[in-house]
Amino acid sequence: MVDEQPFAHPHELADLSIEGVSKTFRTRAQPVQALSSVTLKVRRGSFVALIGPSGCGKSTLLRLVAGLEEPDQGAVLLRNESPQAFRARGELGIAFQDPALLPWRTARRNVALPLQVLGEKVSEQQQRIDDLIELVGLTGYANALPGQLSGGMRQRVAIARALVTYPSMLLLDEPFGALDQILRRSMNLELQRIWMASPTTTLMVTHNIDEAAFLADQVVVMHAAPGRIVDVIPIPFSRPRAPALFAAPEFHAICDRLAAALDPSATR
Amino acid sequence: MTRAQFKTSVYLFAALLVWEVAGRSMHAVRDLIASPTLILTQYWTGADLYVPHLLATVRSAAFGFVIGNLVAVAAAILFCRFPAAETAFRGVNIALFAMPSIVVGPVLALVFSDNLPQIILAALVVYFPTMAATLVGLRDIDPRLLDVIKTYGGGPDAIMRFVRLRSALPAILAGLRTAAPLSVLGAILGEFGSGVRWGLGSFLLGSLGDADPARLLGIGFAATAVAMAGYGVFAWIGRRTLGASMAVTIAPERSPDQYILWPEYSWQSNAALFSVAVLLPFLLWWLILRVSDISPIIAPGPVETLRHLVSGPDSADARAAMLAALGQTLPLAALGLVCGIAAAFAIAALTVVRPAAAKAILPVAMLLQSMPLVALVPLVMLLFGRDTAATVVMAVMVVFFPAYVMLAQGFALVPRPALELVQVYGGSRTSELVLVSVPYAASYLFAAAKLVVPRALLGVMVAEWLLSGKGLGNLLNSSRGLLDYDMVWAGAVISILISVAAYEAVSGVERLAR
Repeated sequence: MVDEQPFAHPHELADLSIEGVSKTFRTRAQPVQALSSVTLKVRRGSFVALIGPSGCGKSTLLRLVAGLEEPDQGAVLLRNESPQAFRARGELGIAFQDPALLPWRTARRNVALPLQVLGEKVSEQQQRIDDLIELVGLTGYANALPGQLSGGMRQRVAIARALVTYPSMLLLDEPFGALDQILRRSMNLELQRIWMASPTTTLMVTHNIDEAAFLADQVVVMHAAPGRIVDVIPIPFSRPRAPALFAAPEFHAICDRLAAALDPSATR
Repeated sequence: MTRAQFKTSVYLFAALLVWEVAGRSMHAVRDLIASPTLILTQYWTGADLYVPHLLATVRSAAFGFVIGNLVAVAAAILFCRFPAAETAFRGVNIALFAMPSIVVGPVLALVFSDNLPQIILAALVVYFPTMAATLVGLRDIDPRLLDVIKTYGGGPDAIMRFVRLRSALPAILAGLRTAAPLSVLGAILGEFGSGVRWGLGSFLLGSLGDADPARLLGIGFAATAVAMAGYGVFAWIGRRTLGASMAVTIAPERSPDQYILWPEYSWQSNAALFSVAVLLPFLLWWLILRVSDISPIIAPGPVETLRHLVSGPDSADARAAMLAALGQTLPLAALGLVCGIAAAFAIAALTVVRPAAAKAILPVAMLLQSMPLVALVPLVMLLFGRDTAATVVMAVMVVFFPAYVMLAQGFALVPRPALELVQVYGGSRTSELVLVSVPYAASYLFAAAKLVVPRALLGVMVAEWLLSGKGLGNLLNSSRGLLDYDMVWAGAVISILISVAAYEAVSGVERLAR
């Protein structure tokens, strides 16, 4: 499966191209192979979910794309550029499981942070920032400090921050991993709405099967020891996907297929 | 006022009343510890002395505080940004942490004049706590924030600017809080060495001979009040700027190992950096004297000082005097250290069995921890005289309080589920203590020991200098009087080296024990 062209339309533009990437971490006990010759291409404008058990290297893969780690072998190219060159233009947006907001900054000034790091004038983009705060549903909370916001609201600030530079590549590392199941579903709907308002090539790491199936165009299934891609499963549902989809039999069929790919021994 | 505060005030008032009545009615008590109103009266009658002495100390402390803290924050930023610089300066940092500050005063007095020795000593004393607190604050940041900044192409400078500096603000303010009372102590110890006319230290020295308990305790309380005021100002600023969320308790001080990281370079560069770390203090010593162009008779360099003890014409006498002094000082310092830590551990452990007692003791201990130790001298002298007992008591007292605060924290941080596990099986408080709390808190023993090892030596030397007239403290004091400059330098260097060695020995044992 790994050797197959992992997306449906090989002639379309690839925004992200991961070629034979391996990464080993040296720990005190023994070296751990986090990724073993991983190859993946992500089409422009698509939403790809990475799913797999703990230790399968899905977060490492995302960090390689963000240029936060360097591969031992292989290459990561974003529109034919290195992650470092790509991100220096503000083309990357990122959000983590932990919102990682600066606790002393208001929501608005947290959203502005990437612009400041990139050396852009924040005053000229105030309208953009306010629009984003509205888009993530935080109208009226622009001047609140993170400590005054709930966990879900903080995560919305982090998503607005990830979108502020008009990124052409959005990286989400378990963005709703710390939320409860009910809040997670409503955030999934929100994320779909936000994403459809500004469709951006998106790579999302998750360990939640229905989150992956609901949001993604393609789900990349990974296994651990060593971390590798075992399957790429296309999700056929049209957008916008409604909450009713969570209860649909075809949705459950996809989820079962994902579960089987994640743990083949369980379905035998 | 809460119920607990009300109760405390009632007890405090009752204690003062007992002290007053006993002091007024019994001669023996009055000659020992005066009485509250006697102390207050002598403030009134002695105001013409107190005001200039107090102002002189506050001025030196304030100048030293500003200079020392500016250097400390700048150094912490440099060390955070360039970890190799920190490794290179490790020797300097540990020397500044471990130096018994009283030995530096006479040396500074040889090289500088007027108020400069006190100011410089105050600056040297505040440097380490602020630098350590700032460095921890700069380093201890949310790693995800680093990822966010890096994702937008930001490098170490952007991380410093957007994340670290602001993140470190509470830590810097906590460092300044610790540093404020220390600057007062530094100024007073500097006055001992420089022998200036004005200052609380000079006032205390001049009053020790009269043995008037009201005056001596009055000076002790005045020094404590100034130190506490400094602490209070920065606690207040901290609360105002950082909001109610910030803890208002006194953060325990840090010893160098709690922040120093050994960067993972190749062993060659590690060895090179290590050599730099060892040599840099001596190089700076030589360089400062070279640049300041002071007569080598007053201010010998490292080589001359070594020669004074090893190969000079009077080296045999110098060695004998030094060894005799060390023979008196070191056993007392060790005794004070062991007794102080043991008492601190026992009382901290007791608080597990009797939590109510802990609530009462901890604030007092935190307060006394930041009391300038010279303020203890009058009380110790009045209660224990001027000899060995007084010296050991001084050492125990300066060791006990910081060790207790550190160990009480260790006991408080024992994970609750571990204690509840014992409770679920019907264990008593005592079995909680024996099975869980003591083994957990034992790891804090090393942290506490590293923190107080240099203090034990300082406590003994202060007592020797002011009270007993023996040992290393006296050797420095008398050499200063005899204009034996080589001995002043040698004594200072030897005591700093011993202090650093003792600190490193505890660290070494800790590494082995792990």
